[in-house]
Amino acid sequence: MSAVPDPASTSTGSAKFEGLGYYWQVILAFAQNSLIRDMTFRTNFLLECVSSISWTMMNVGFYLIVFSHANSIGASTGWGKYEFFVFMATTWIVNSLVETFFMPNAEEFSELIRTGGLDFALLKPIDTQFLISFRKMDWSSLSNLMMALILLAFSLWQLTHRPENPLQLHFSILFFYPLYILCGVAILYSLTITLSATSIWLGRNQTLYDFWFYITNFSRYPMEIYQRGWGMALWGTFTFVIPVLVVVNVPARLLAQPLHPRAWWEWPLAGFTVVAAILSLLASRWVFQRALLSYRSASS
Amino acid sequence: MTALATELSSRLMTWWIILRIALEERLVYRGDFALGTLMRFLPIVTQIFLWWAIFESVPTAAGSGQTKALVGYSFPDMVAYYLLTMLGRAFSSMPGLASGVARQIREGEVKKYLTQPVDLIEFLLLGRVAHKLAYYSVATIPFALVFFLCRGYFSSGMPDVYTLSIFIATLLMSFLLGFFMEVCLGLVGFWFLEVSSLLFVYMLFNFFLSGHMFPLDMLPEPWRSLVEYIPLKYLAYHPAAIFLGKIPREQLLFELGIEIAWLIFFVFLARWMYARGLKRYSGFGG
Amino acid sequence: MAIIEIDQLSKSYRVYQKGEGLRAAVTGLFHRQYREVLAVREVNLKVESGEFVAFLGPNGAGKTTTLKLLSGVIYPTSGRAKVMGYVPWQRDNEYRRRFALVMGQKNQLWWDLPAQESFRLHQRIYRIDPPAFRKTLDELTELLSVRELLCRPVRELSLGERMKMELIAALLHSPEVLFLDEPTIGLDVVAQHNIQQFLKYYQEQRGITVLLTSHYMKDVAALCRRVVVIAKGQVQYDGSLSGIVDSFSGAKVVTLQLAEGTVPQGLERLGEVLSIQLPKVKLKCSRIEVSRVLAQLLEQYTVEDIAVEDPPLDEVIAAMFSRVSSEEKAAEGVSQ
Repeated sequence: MSAVPDPASTSTGSAKFEGLGYYWQVILAFAQNSLIRDMTFRTNFLLECVSSISWTMMNVGFYLIVFSHANSIGASTGWGKYEFFVFMATTWIVNSLVETFFMPNAEEFSELIRTGGLDFALLKPIDTQFLISFRKMDWSSLSNLMMALILLAFSLWQLTHRPENPLQLHFSILFFYPLYILCGVAILYSLTITLSATSIWLGRNQTLYDFWFYITNFSRYPMEIYQRGWGMALWGTFTFVIPVLVVVNVPARLLAQPLHPRAWWEWPLAGFTVVAAILSLLASRWVFQRALLSYRSASS
Repeated sequence: MTALATELSSRLMTWWIILRIALEERLVYRGDFALGTLMRFLPIVTQIFLWWAIFESVPTAAGSGQTKALVGYSFPDMVAYYLLTMLGRAFSSMPGLASGVARQIREGEVKKYLTQPVDLIEFLLLGRVAHKLAYYSVATIPFALVFFLCRGYFSSGMPDVYTLSIFIATLLMSFLLGFFMEVCLGLVGFWFLEVSSLLFVYMLFNFFLSGHMFPLDMLPEPWRSLVEYIPLKYLAYHPAAIFLGKIPREQLLFELGIEIAWLIFFVFLARWMYARGLKRYSGFGG
Repeated sequence: MAIIEIDQLSKSYRVYQKGEGLRAAVTGLFHRQYREVLAVREVNLKVESGEFVAFLGPNGAGKTTTLKLLSGVIYPTSGRAKVMGYVPWQRDNEYRRRFALVMGQKNQLWWDLPAQESFRLHQRIYRIDPPAFRKTLDELTELLSVRELLCRPVRELSLGERMKMELIAALLHSPEVLFLDEPTIGLDVVAQHNIQQFLKYYQEQRGITVLLTSHYMKDVAALCRRVVVIAKGQVQYDGSLSGIVDSFSGAKVVTLQLAEGTVPQGLERLGEVLSIQLPKVKLKCSRIEVSRVLAQLLEQYTVEDIAVEDPPLDEVIAAMFSRVSSEEKAAEGVSQ
């Protein structure tokens, strides 16, 4: 029997860039495997769904209490009750997407580095970062997405039907809102992968999830709350250096705040968000490649 | 008499060894440790800004001059409140305790306590004390630093000696109460295999109703009164309220008494569940 | 041109020193002490296509590190290597499609899923043509008799069955070069035997090049003609299995079957007495002495049967390892 592989079964020549269809097929295979796995642990899956939903309910409860005492977050920022709920729903949309597709992989990556399991990933004829980023998916986090969409729909309905000054939605929202959600996901993805890649240098990384929580904590509130006193430094850092503030603020603002009049800085900020998303992805790739160079594998 | 002394000293020796190992373990992963301690304070920063913004649209309290107040808390009070609940949580949070107990029961590790003179509950308590001491002896510096930086928020100043001593007593009690409440939850594992759902519900209520998320004064009726009757408030809200003078002076001792009563209740409950559970357990043949 | 060429390959690691006790742990927060460990030292090797080569050596000898270097999993500190014309650590997708690495007791299959799901994923990633995939999978499951186990979750399989699945996963894309790192470690004798038989058959059929590391002599004896002995990161010996004994052992074992009723005396003068279980006696002596010893034995006693053999391979290798290790320690002692 010949030892030369059948030419029909390998890609043509030494093409460095595989077709998009190839990557899509692989993602589908990952999705399927993750789903099968989640379904084998049905009770766990249900528990996770219930716990995510309860958490969101608690947050809604908290803000209902807050808004029974105050009527907006920050004077004249425009973040009243339902505007703020739109903001919250946007937070959950972005976070649930990241938690479904990328968080499990970032955690797994730390484990792979620690146990030397990364070896197997390095053997595969596919871009290592792609493999690491999409391998596992946590479908139970999509329950949060569902809650977010419900809250979003409800709040938007309230806003567009209120007696004074009802919100007017422009149809371009249908394009821009998803676009900025994607930018947000890209920025947060870059952050998680960079953090988890640092475990190559820092060893065990138990505080990964904590760190993630603390940093994204900043992104959960309208950026106006930082624009005072020494908060400006925070605002600057988390908008331009680690751009987590634009992740939720930009799409939420686009949706919940009136189209006219827009402050002069809103569209440039939106443009900046797209640039930030691209730069974050590039930065995370750079860190990832550096991390692979330092990878030592585990002793056998 | 000497037997007691040797017993005590060997106990102390074990305690010291556990403590030392716990500390060593903490320090091995240095990058992890340094980052983790600092990070704990970041959410407070966001909270401060959030409440600053919320207070902007709070109407000025009628008849109290220019101070804005939300259910009797001014903005500085609110910040002080959150810092104090962090301190309270440092004492009362017991990560992994209930699930650890349930796991030990599920996996049969509890069997070894049947034949040894060591008590599971005592052992765990010692372990938790060691853990807390180990962790917070090193974390005192960042804590002290933050409190010092934020001293401006404590507008009502330090409470008098009497209130302060009650405050410290409550903190210590919150540690014990938190411990025994979670142990009881874990001990449910003797009767139901999957304790995680129960635990989850407890965690949820704990977070929401212990005052960790917001001062319990903000709750509307009937919840406000209801929450007075469950012991969760002692884990975060109560010490903070004492320090900030929210509890009338005459009532302090009375409240402390109730807290002690709750504690005694849970200690007895834990002991009773443990004894019954072990009996039931050995009945199964392990 | 050889399919695998290794030229002065070296790999060293920095290892963090941890002191004892609390004080050391605290100072460790501020200042770490490092030690350089030379895992692989200037290894030179050439392997031709179709060869089945064994890497033999004690733990920590550098066998696994060498394989990892050849797989591109880690980067070398210095030196060069080429496999099928590729530089492994450049991690060319083309290269990765043409070789496979299997590590004993390490799983790459999804733990909670049936093996066939992992195989399907493999097919997508390696872009294996569906009909070719089916055919290869059928062949391999047939050869390893694991057909019924394909739909069982991997965590439910025994160690031996899991190893078989790992092998299948590695061979699905018909690699030309196969690296095996202790594939039979921890397995029971039957499973070991099955896997050895399979590897032998597969390699002969397909003519692929195989590099196997092991510290089980049985693996090596069953499968390879060429053995490379590695100790302390260096190649100590490269040649045939039988040659090892000649190179490393200066001894022979003489087995005597004495006549009924004879009681041997003074055997210790002739050599090392290994065992006396009358009427059989086992004696060890140096090679040069053999003829003299034999002559004396035949003179002194009535012998019914006599055999002169090499000492067991395991012993020879073990002795060689410990000799290398003590040489190393002596060298360290001198430098300190």
